[in-house]
Order: sequence, then structure tokens, then C-alpha cells
Amino acid sequence: MATLETQQLDEIIVKTRRKMLTMGGAALAALAFGGTTKAEAQSTTTPDQDILNFALNLEYLEAQFYNLAVSGVTIDQLPTPIPVAVNGGTAGSVTLKPSFAKVPFVSSIVAAYAAETATEEGKHVLFLQKTLGSVAVSMPDIDLFNSFNALANLAGIGTSFDPFASDQNFLIGAYIFEDVGVSAYHGAAPLIADKTGVLPAALGLHAVEAYHAGLIRTVISAYDNGVSTGPLSTMTQAISAARSTLANPDPTMPITSPFTTFAGTTADDLGVQSATVSLNGGSTSATFTSTTIADTDLNALGWSRNSIQILAIVTGNPATATAFTGGFFPNGLNGTIS
Amino acid sequence: MEKKLNDLIDKALSRRQFLAGAGTTAAATLVVGCNSSTTTPSPTPTPTPTPLNLPDNDILNFALNLEYLEAEFYLYATTGSGLSTADALAGAGTTIVPPNTVAVPWTTPAQAQFAAELAQTELDHVRYLQGAITANSGTPVPRPAIDLTFFGPLAAAASIVATPTFNPFADPNSFLVGGFTFEDVGVTAYAGGGPALVSNILLSGVAGLQAAEAYHAGSIRTQIAGGAANTGDATFLNYANKISALRATVGGGNETQLSLSSIVAADPTNALGFSRTTDQVLHIVYGTGGGAGVSKGGFFPNGLNGKITTTAS
Repeated sequence: MATLETQQLDEIIVKTRRKMLTMGGAALAALAFGGTTKAEAQSTTTPDQDILNFALNLEYLEAQFYNLAVSGVTIDQLPTPIPVAVNGGTAGSVTLKPSFAKVPFVSSIVAAYAAETATEEGKHVLFLQKTLGSVAVSMPDIDLFNSFNALANLAGIGTSFDPFASDQNFLIGAYIFEDVGVSAYHGAAPLIADKTGVLPAALGLHAVEAYHAGLIRTVISAYDNGVSTGPLSTMTQAISAARSTLANPDPTMPITSPFTTFAGTTADDLGVQSATVSLNGGSTSATFTSTTIADTDLNALGWSRNSIQILAIVTGNPATATAFTGGFFPNGLNGTIS
Repeated sequence: MEKKLNDLIDKALSRRQFLAGAGTTAAATLVVGCNSSTTTPSPTPTPTPTPLNLPDNDILNFALNLEYLEAEFYLYATTGSGLSTADALAGAGTTIVPPNTVAVPWTTPAQAQFAAELAQTELDHVRYLQGAITANSGTPVPRPAIDLTFFGPLAAAASIVATPTFNPFADPNSFLVGGFTFEDVGVTAYAGGGPALVSNILLSGVAGLQAAEAYHAGSIRTQIAGGAANTGDATFLNYANKISALRATVGGGNETQLSLSSIVAADPTNALGFSRTTDQVLHIVYGTGGGAGVSKGGFFPNGLNGKITTTAS
């Protein structure tokens, strides 16, 4: 009975199994409708260069955040500068709080993690610029001040949030970015046409974002002594709920802020929290409490997000929006996917 | 393509609702449901399945062997026993563990909870791959024979201890070194396998598997390096780096020495994660270099199950 189409259906069922398992009938109908709407808003023939330029925007954002945290200067002001204006373009500006200063790291361990991540995100910028060559985009306007305040409001963690104020705040700032990077590269990977040159590089970038995310989530959990109701873990849960809601908005439940629980159609994000797992080792089954260091779905696969969902998160708009400016990119992204 | 995908998703969802909704009646109507959703209705379904993407299934079965290994290790560490008979599939090989292996004697709840996450994750990966292979008209291989006492000889080969007595179930730090042995390898194996897949849907699945392995590798590397920094005792950090060096020797390089300022395993030039060929992965899990023709050894005393079992280089 396995026709070509039913086999394709089975493949799709595997992919969408998580959603189907967690949703009721009415929600399923909404998913089918919502999925169609989202995909049609995307280009159907996204060239690899568009995808890489999209990634370059995100890497500019991450590189600026980490290098400012560590060195107190933008990447073009580093001892070994990283270009922000390329191919005759004009670089955007980076908005910081008045009297900005780098993070006053107390923990040498956190400082070391920050320095490594800053270096690696800078290398990602350089790699993408080099790979894209004459079509690489310049850095767009980036906001690392109002954006965090707005997100803090949205996630209900306060009226303002300064990720450069302390070790702990820095970790939360990093948390905001890394899982998003993982899901962005994951979503892009199957759309890449060049499977010998571009795809392996994208998977390499994808892995490093996940290494970073695993690092950050581990350190956050350690700061709370593994207690999932600790202050930092609680903030990650609110941020993940906000990301889920922006990426999967429910048209019947307008996003209001602040909120602390997920209010979208389907959750695609897990904070640093605890879970109950049932492990049937051998013939017996027993439940255990587990961490959620990996941000994954019910198949324990990393989440995948399409470019619209990523734009929604980084600009602070629901994915149903028609324009994506605001948040970390006050004037939007540079390039075709914006 | 995306439009077509979305059409297919809609159809898949409606078909799934049939399955979930009405039991045997739905099963009886399923064939009708399938046909009515196709653009060219036909009176009878195609009788013989035509296997799709067979090379994809070979790659997925290769990955399934690795996931069996990881699942066995973490399940034993957490529960004191391995995969259920149902999860190991008919014809499964046996798993050898050190004598008197029980769950690792954790010293903090956080350690136990992290191990439980790893066990659940790798168990989920086993089930996901079995399902994905079946859905792709393939046959998932059963668990091959697995030898978790190989950590001892591996540690000796890595010059961690003079005699093969290293036991990853002995204490939480040794457990982390055991996990370290596998996770980075998983990341590189999926990085190598992903681009070889024909199906973009399966590619997305493999990217998801890669992410989970990298999250866990990042965490384990952080815990090992951070633990050494916090305690001033670099014993287990040194163990991990000796394992890493051994992997580099038999697995084509692709390693980053672990330190507090170097958590991520990535190419130092461009900070891209590493990738390995199936040959390089086989050499690592078989625990030996030796070029072409290696078909078993190390963690897999009878070799892997499936078609990708023997090194070609």
C-alpha cells in the first residue's frame, strides 16, 4: 500500500509527530492552516546566498553582544577589527545604554566562557563574509539596549534588563541568543541547495551554536544549584515562553505583556527546567527527574524554525506580522530575507 | 516545493486524524482516505512498496547503531540496566557491562538529573531513528552486540591508566568522561552524514539529532573543564583530553583540546564544528586505526549492524 505519496506522508508524519501528539483536533486544524500561511510568506526559491546573509545578520548580532560584553567595544574597534561595512555598504549603528561598560565579570570561569564565545562568533562573521564575498551584506542597525528592556517586559522579568550588568545577567543575555541560532541553522539546512559546500558549513555553524547553548544552559543551571525554580532558571523559562509565542502566535490570543506562560499555538522552546522521564531500562520502567540542558522536542531533536519565526523573535514581532523591524534590529535585517 | 510540502502536511495530518480518531473503522477507511487525498485517485493501492532513498536508510541505520551505544551507556548509568527488549528490536545482540554494574552513585541530584536527561534523549533518538527508517520503507537494524567494558582498554590505550580498570560507572566524574567519549563523536558523525542524505526531511531530522548531541557535548565539556577549575583537580580533564587525543589519532584529527577557555570543539580557523566520515567514526568506535577492512572491535565486538560496517580506508 506504500505509494510514493503515502511514503512521503509518512516522512512528514514523522516530522510533525511531536505537534500531533501534543495537540487536539481543533489545534491540528489551526496548525495546518497556520503552517500554510507561514510558508507562503516565504520565498520558495531561497538562494543559498540569501540564507547565508540571513545568518550573517544574526552572527553580527551575536558577535557584537559577546565582544561588547568582554572587551567593551564593537567588533570593528577590536585590536584585530572585524569589518561591519562590506562591499561598499554602510554599517548600521549599535545602540547601547548611556554610560555603557563591559561586563564586570566576577567569575573568571564565566569570563573565560564569554571570551571564547566572543572569539568564535567573530570568526563566524568573518567566515560568512568571506564565503559570501561580493554579495555579503553589511551590519544592520543593532539595538542592545531598548531591545533587552522590551524583551524583559514581554517575558515578565522586569521593566528593564541590562545584560551587561553582572555575570548572571550576561548569562541570561547569552541565553536569549544561542538557542535561536541553533533553531535558525536547523531550519535553513534542508533549504540549502549546495550540499557539498554550503550545507556542511551550515551544519558546522549549527553545531557550534548548540555547543554554546549547552554551555550557557549548563552554567545557568549550576548558578541555581540545579534547582529548576531558581531565579535564573525561572527567567529562562519566561524567555523561552516568549520565544515560543512570538514564533507560533495564536491569532485568537493576542500577545499581551507581561506574560510568563506560553500563549501561542505550539510551544517550540524549553527553558532550563526539570522534566519527568520514564526510562524502561531492562524489563522495568521507572520515572526519573531530568534536566533540560538540551532545548529539544519530544523526539529529543533540536527545534527547527523557519526564517519568519526567527525574524519574529529577533525583532519582537509575532510571526503573523507583515514587517519585521524592532527588537534587536530596529530597522530590520539586511539582505533578501528580512 | 514548500507549497507541495504544505499540501502534504495537510494530507498527513488528516490521515493521522483518521488513525487517531476511530480505531478499526478508521483503519478500514484508511486506504480510501489515502486515495481520496491523492490527486489521481486509483481503485487499488500500489501493491509493492518501492523502497525510497535506500542510501538514506543505510546512513540512518549507521546512526542507529551509535544511538544504541549511547542509550545503553546512559541507561545503565541511570537505571542499572539497558534498553528494553522492545526497544532493542528482535535479534538484538547482548550488552556486556563491568561486573556488578548498577546506577552510578551520584553525589548530587543535579548529576542524576543530567544523566536521566541523557538517557531519555538517546532512548528517544533510538526510537526516532527506528520510526524514521520504517517510514522511509526501510528496516531498522536491531541493537548489535555492545561491550561497555571497552572503556577499560580504551583508557589504557589513551594512557589514562596503566591497566584497563577505568570504569565510567564508578563515580560521577568517571561517568562524565564516559559521556565525553561519545558526544563529540555523535556531533561529527551527524555533520558528516547530513549532507549525504537525499531526503531533506530526513536531513532536518539529522540536524535535530546533531543539535542534541552538541548541546550535550557542550554541557559535558563545560562540566569537566568547570569542575577542574572549581576543584583545582584536573584529573578528569586530563582523562578527557587523553580520550580526545586518541580519537584524533584514529579518527582523522577533528578534535579540540578541552580547557576552560576552549569548551567548544571546532575548527580553530573559522569556528565551524568538525565533521567525520563513516570510516573515521568506525575507527573510533572500533577502537583502532589500521586503515581499510576493520569491521568490528572496541565497543562493537561483532561490528555494527546494517550496511555501513567496515572501514574502506
